[in-house]
Amino acid sequence: MGLVDKAIAWGGRNSPWIIHFNAGACNGCDIEVVDALTPRFDLERLGILQQGSPRHADVLVVTGAVTLQTRERLKEIYDQMSTPKFVVAVGTCACSGGIFDGCYCVTGGVDAVIPVDAYIPGCAVRPEAIIHAVDALLKAKLPKAAGRLKKDKKAKPDRKEDAAHDGAGNDQ
Amino acid sequence: MTEQETINRLNAQFPFARAVSPRRMRVFTDFMPPRQFEAVLRFARDELGYGKGEHIVGTDEGEDLGFSYIVSNGETLLVIREKVPKADPRVRSQYALYPSLLMHERELVDLFGADMRELPPGPSYPLPDGWPKGEYPLRKEWNPAYFNKNTMRYEPPEGGGEAKT
Amino acid sequence: MSERDGKFVLPIGPQHPSLKEPCSFKITLDGEVVEKAVVEIGYNHRGLEKACESRTFVQDLYIIERVCGICSHAHTSAFCRCVEEMCGLLVPRRAEYIRGIVGELERLHSHLLWLGVAAHEIGFDTLFMYTWRDRERVLDMLAAIGGNRINYGVNTFGGVRRDLEPELIAEIGRVMDALEEKLKYYFELALVEPALIGRLSGIGILRPEDVRRFSAVGPVARAAGIMDDTRIIEPYGVFREIAVNGVTDDHCDVYGRTIVRVKEMLESVRLIRVMLRELPDGPISVKAPRRVPAGEILIRVEAPRGEDIHYVRSTGGDMPDRVRVRAPTEANWHGMSYMLEGFHLADVPIIIAAIDPCYSCTDRAVRLTDAGGSSLHAWEELRRLGIERYQSLGIDPSGIRLREFPRG
Repeated sequence: MGLVDKAIAWGGRNSPWIIHFNAGACNGCDIEVVDALTPRFDLERLGILQQGSPRHADVLVVTGAVTLQTRERLKEIYDQMSTPKFVVAVGTCACSGGIFDGCYCVTGGVDAVIPVDAYIPGCAVRPEAIIHAVDALLKAKLPKAAGRLKKDKKAKPDRKEDAAHDGAGNDQ
Repeated sequence: MTEQETINRLNAQFPFARAVSPRRMRVFTDFMPPRQFEAVLRFARDELGYGKGEHIVGTDEGEDLGFSYIVSNGETLLVIREKVPKADPRVRSQYALYPSLLMHERELVDLFGADMRELPPGPSYPLPDGWPKGEYPLRKEWNPAYFNKNTMRYEPPEGGGEAKT
Repeated sequence: MSERDGKFVLPIGPQHPSLKEPCSFKITLDGEVVEKAVVEIGYNHRGLEKACESRTFVQDLYIIERVCGICSHAHTSAFCRCVEEMCGLLVPRRAEYIRGIVGELERLHSHLLWLGVAAHEIGFDTLFMYTWRDRERVLDMLAAIGGNRINYGVNTFGGVRRDLEPELIAEIGRVMDALEEKLKYYFELALVEPALIGRLSGIGILRPEDVRRFSAVGPVARAAGIMDDTRIIEPYGVFREIAVNGVTDDHCDVYGRTIVRVKEMLESVRLIRVMLRELPDGPISVKAPRRVPAGEILIRVEAPRGEDIHYVRSTGGDMPDRVRVRAPTEANWHGMSYMLEGFHLADVPIIIAAIDPCYSCTDRAVRLTDAGGSSLHAWEELRRLGIERYQSLGIDPSGIRLREFPRG
């Protein structure tokens, strides 16, 4: 591995920039992605920054079942990202099409269009799950993963009820 | 204007409309051919004060297509309906009367195959680019299981296949 | 950016940092001023209405909940009301109160979300962080009631699925106290903060006559002084017993819409307190039949963004014959181009945000063509064009191979 690759991996590991794309979601997962960036969960303290341009981003966060109309746009955005790039499918719909699978305008999960590196199921996904997934993904994918993203630094929810509701997130 | 007054005035002017009120603040008319429908719609807007275009519900009525225009006077919802044969679904856009229903009329064109005359130029809505011409997903005989999303073609088996709903 | 007749046509979206959802705009600019705006939606069209026709009513309830993840309770409330009225079910009073409490909590979370997004659009990120922090408390309460932060699944035909325990009632009361303090602070902020007033006043104007012409609903209509609130016009459920103090404003601009939403949140806090205090005892649901008698129904409910209309037709079976949803954003789209025209490009994001657009609601079955898309090239095509250009200059880069970073 050359010096450049090492530098890229070091940067991506310590400060991954994400871009969010809604491929046809109900909005539930989208607001949870934004939620993960706001004070209670605060992904930014882990160096994760949301970016507007796909060319600056390391991680593509896709929510929602992919509709026929967004299918080509999703490919375009993926192509515009520079390597190394990773894709996280957020929510049951992004993983498999979920409740919308079989609708005439829905292609299916994100992996029907572009390769996916991490799947986060849930309807809607909890911000803790998003943080955990991004953390796990970068550890697994980027060489020499250590640095600041350690497991013990994972977001700790600051409320009591959480323990009771974790795991019972979606019982419908 | 209450629902009772609306019914009285509509039925006095247009007996074929057969307006009824199934519950408070709702008035439904019968299905009418386009020409009569237009007269009733204009009367409701100009004479009865139903100036707010709320919504259009397209329905599949077997051999016909039904278009229920929902207008309101700020309180009561009035549903005025027209019916055209599927084989010849020619209707006129009511854009001049209710500009806010434009997008719903475009939906009728895309999803039900209404042949909407006098629709202002503009993009179709809401089906995606490359949607095959002549395929109207909200008609009952159209089964999403036969739609190939990769080739964007509707491919029913021999004999036309079965309608799903 | 393309030039046409000396005017710039600026395509925005469908993926854009200031839009959280896919939607594209084609904006014709004369200098800095928007001359014409064409809204292009439909990226979110999934085909829900067709899907509803081939599933049972109970299954449809879960699809309807996912029309929109922000106002999911409003959609299920409308759909449940449709089925309950067709079946002639009498929903227990306690269930109506719980529906009302969840509905107002949802309004609080939706308006706080909006206030944050609006603050973000005008570069006031501090307020964005504050409101989203406060919103977490509301989400905690929704999660405590329904078990999920989003799509709580509280509604069912004939009542609700979750009861409120006394401890939870006390906890919601404490959260309301804390929230009210914050909301009063935001309200004062909106009244005195000169940067906020200067940035929001006088843009995205929609006067009462325009509201009528474009059939706008919800806070957009109320900010023009028109009392368009279904909870008042046609009280349903708990609002038949507890009167809502409607909120209007006469600024007719984005500032007015902000004031209306902040005041509405204070009203929601009051309503929740009253509902918690008067919560009647009794069962929380009645049994609903699997088959729904033949007939049709039109129900409206006040969602956070405005009036939500559901149409359901049944032929007597366990599946609906037709389900049609008119989400409030769909009604507010028509005035959008009008609101944008004549204002500066820099104001476009906040004017769009001011109607609190929700594309997943609007496009539920739905796309405006992507005329801007013609200027977009796929990566491969761009590469080919680049190679052709260099070849024309006498350099042949086609032998250069793209270096792939090793994947997993």
